Amino acid sequence: MMQILKKTNINFVGMRYYAFLFSGILVTLGIIAFVFIFMGRANLGIDFAGGTMIQGSFEKPMRIGQIRDALGRNGYGDAEITELKAREIPYFFMIRLKSTAETGSKVSNEVLDVLKKEFPDNNFRKDSVDEVGPAVGKILQQQARLAVLIALAGILVYIWIRFDFRFGVAATIATFHDVLAVLGIMFILHKEITLLIVTALLTLAGYSLTDTVVVYDRIRENLKVFRKKGDFAGTVNASINEILNRTLMTGGTTLLAVLSVFIFAGEVVHDFALALILGILVGTYSSWFVAAPIVLEWEKWSPKRFK
Amino acid sequence: MKRSQLWLTLITVFLIIASVWYLYPSLSLWSLSDTEKALLKEKDPSKLLSLEQKGIKLGLDLKGGMHVVLQVDKTKLKPEESKDAVERALEIIRNRIDQFGVAEPLIQKQGEDRIIVELPGLQDVERAQNLIGQTAQLEFRLLETPENTKTILTKIDEALAQKTKEVKPSKEKEKEKEKEKQIAKDLFSKEVIDTTVQEEEAGVTDKPFTSLLEPSGSDFFLVALEDKPKIDQYLKDPKIWEQIPEDDTLAWATGAEPYKGVDYQKLYLLKKKAELSGKYLTDAREDFDQYRRPEVRFTMTKEGGRRFAQLTGANIDKPLGIVLDGRVESAPIIRAKIRESGVIEMGSGATIESARDLAVVLRAGALPAPVKIIENRVVGPSLGQDSINKGVKAAIIGIGAVLLLMGIYYKLSGIIADFAMILNLIYLLAALAGLHATLTLPGIAGIILTMGMSVDSNVLVFERIREEMRTGKTIRASIDAGYKRALLTIIDSHVTTLITAAVLFQFGTGPIKGFAVTLSLGVIISLFTAVVVTRLIFNVRKNYQTLSI
Repeated sequence: MMQILKKTNINFVGMRYYAFLFSGILVTLGIIAFVFIFMGRANLGIDFAGGTMIQGSFEKPMRIGQIRDALGRNGYGDAEITELKAREIPYFFMIRLKSTAETGSKVSNEVLDVLKKEFPDNNFRKDSVDEVGPAVGKILQQQARLAVLIALAGILVYIWIRFDFRFGVAATIATFHDVLAVLGIMFILHKEITLLIVTALLTLAGYSLTDTVVVYDRIRENLKVFRKKGDFAGTVNASINEILNRTLMTGGTTLLAVLSVFIFAGEVVHDFALALILGILVGTYSSWFVAAPIVLEWEKWSPKRFK
Repeated sequence: MKRSQLWLTLITVFLIIASVWYLYPSLSLWSLSDTEKALLKEKDPSKLLSLEQKGIKLGLDLKGGMHVVLQVDKTKLKPEESKDAVERALEIIRNRIDQFGVAEPLIQKQGEDRIIVELPGLQDVERAQNLIGQTAQLEFRLLETPENTKTILTKIDEALAQKTKEVKPSKEKEKEKEKEKQIAKDLFSKEVIDTTVQEEEAGVTDKPFTSLLEPSGSDFFLVALEDKPKIDQYLKDPKIWEQIPEDDTLAWATGAEPYKGVDYQKLYLLKKKAELSGKYLTDAREDFDQYRRPEVRFTMTKEGGRRFAQLTGANIDKPLGIVLDGRVESAPIIRAKIRESGVIEMGSGATIESARDLAVVLRAGALPAPVKIIENRVVGPSLGQDSINKGVKAAIIGIGAVLLLMGIYYKLSGIIADFAMILNLIYLLAALAGLHATLTLPGIAGIILTMGMSVDSNVLVFERIREEMRTGKTIRASIDAGYKRALLTIIDSHVTTLITAAVLFQFGTGPIKGFAVTLSLGVIISLFTAVVVTRLIFNVRKNYQTLSI
């Protein structure tokens, strides 16, 4: 029998106040990010903010400065240009314009015409064009908000059906904690908030509950022992320790899979995978240091006779 | 073996067979190299089309193509005009896209006044944008007389037959060599050669063109839908157009219709010149005549009525083509001189829906609804291919790593879990093909993610079994207890993922929908493979002395 860890006795609950502090910081970051997004001041992708994004490559060497100057001369001074080195194609650039004319199709054609005119002997081959009118961005924002609300409501309803009041509240807090923490980290990393990032956040809201459920099921199972000994903190700690291996394994297999997406699946889903990786890590952490200790604190604050 | 286990085993095996059946077209398609694909496209386009339709559909982000959202601009229309403006715009766009010959386009109304157009594989973006943005052209045109039509078709046949004869001898040897090579390697060698033979035979007959036409009445020809690509191929040949008089043209009908159990599309030979434009129409409505047969009533402006009277008066008993953007919508026979208002009889077999469609087309020609592009996403084919390559690489490495970890950590039991996971993957891909779901890059990420998640169930069960074994239970009892006690936890952890997947499916755009589909299907299937199938395998032996876990 192979085991990651032999029988452990890590004092998880003893570390809970440091954990609360750490989680508090993460969640605060998440809330700040959320407010910024709501006010439209965060780094929103063109899905939400509207705008134009052109990706493509030049045949011959090209520097960002040259493109910027060329576009600036033609009235596109606000263009953001990045060279994408992750792809094997050389001189591959991404040109972004936050604002578009209401008729989207004109901007990209104009930008492409400018590139053709300014670099007549260095052909730019466009690989993808994304243009989202501001009205569509607003609609997508609304839909994303609605999706987040409905998904969270659905998860909450399930939690409340499945658990009693205390565990339900604690699981809910843990779920919000995970989503907000990942959002906060993505915000600090200045990652663009796109539809895919929202998708990742919702996915991890569903997934992060797995570890919490595993911990709670074990705590409830061990409550029989608690009734005899009366040491609730010890019961919670023992429960976490007992299932440590499986939490590491379930998290580990999923992490391996997503890590492969992060490393190999390319630019498009890179940040998406990053958010999922963060989600798996935070979800595992929160099942030990958030979900379980909340139940413990509640029990201390208002003891409940487990019968 | 218990009865229930026998059934479950049978279901598992049946699902494997069904999966192979559903996956076969996808695998055949993927095993073709680009050159083989190009060859098949030339030799037997309908075969390739059917493979593409039955195979797993790739999203625009993988296949390349364009996704456009249009908004119908109602601001300049009067209230009564704007009522069915979106329907009119849809009709026009559908007709145009149809002419464009894109495989599996998606044209859909979204919300109140938006239209989504998805054109997979399309590369000529500017042309498509222009086509979509143009104002509709509705025209009334006269058809070529039956006598002339016959002469012209005979000339086309002669020209084509002569061409095949000229080309044949020089290509003969080359083809022989090609054939030999293909028998050795090509999955479709048989079919490909069959069609070459067929084409040669068709070339030998002196009617290569008309043999594909089913004469029906004197106004049009029926072309079986599967022969349509061949005709289209012929129509690209300038030789054919040399045989057609300057002022005539060949034009397809707008859609296909069934006739004696086969889908046909009509082909017309008609005048290039428009006798009257649709802008003279003021209204058109579907209605029933006194015998409850569907018909379309239309009215014209004063000026239009005057011209229409001239036209119809001079061409009584001749068909008049109603042509929308170069396609023949209908060609009713002129029965009498029509002035400002007229009736188009739909015929006894027609439905009121067909009358409604024609009325919409007539109104669309009269009152084009202006559209503007509000969202536009184009993925170039090379970026799509790049995404496929990277997605597949990530899948192989990610899934491989999980397989390895499970095998090393849980030994033989881990390998059983690995088997279940591979089964999950096969079922999932087959389900995607069977449900005509679209695979996108986030969808591939979703597959990899669910594979990582699906073994979680096994981890929970195996850890539980280990625990039970430690308490001194027999191995058999530990296995049973392990499955029983882990089940609720497993279901719990899956339900919430399913909830989010369902929401994402409802609200997501294309690529994200693809993710929601693979995630939800993968999770549901994993409940079967990771729990039921692995248990079946554990149950093969009744008594265990040792367990490799």
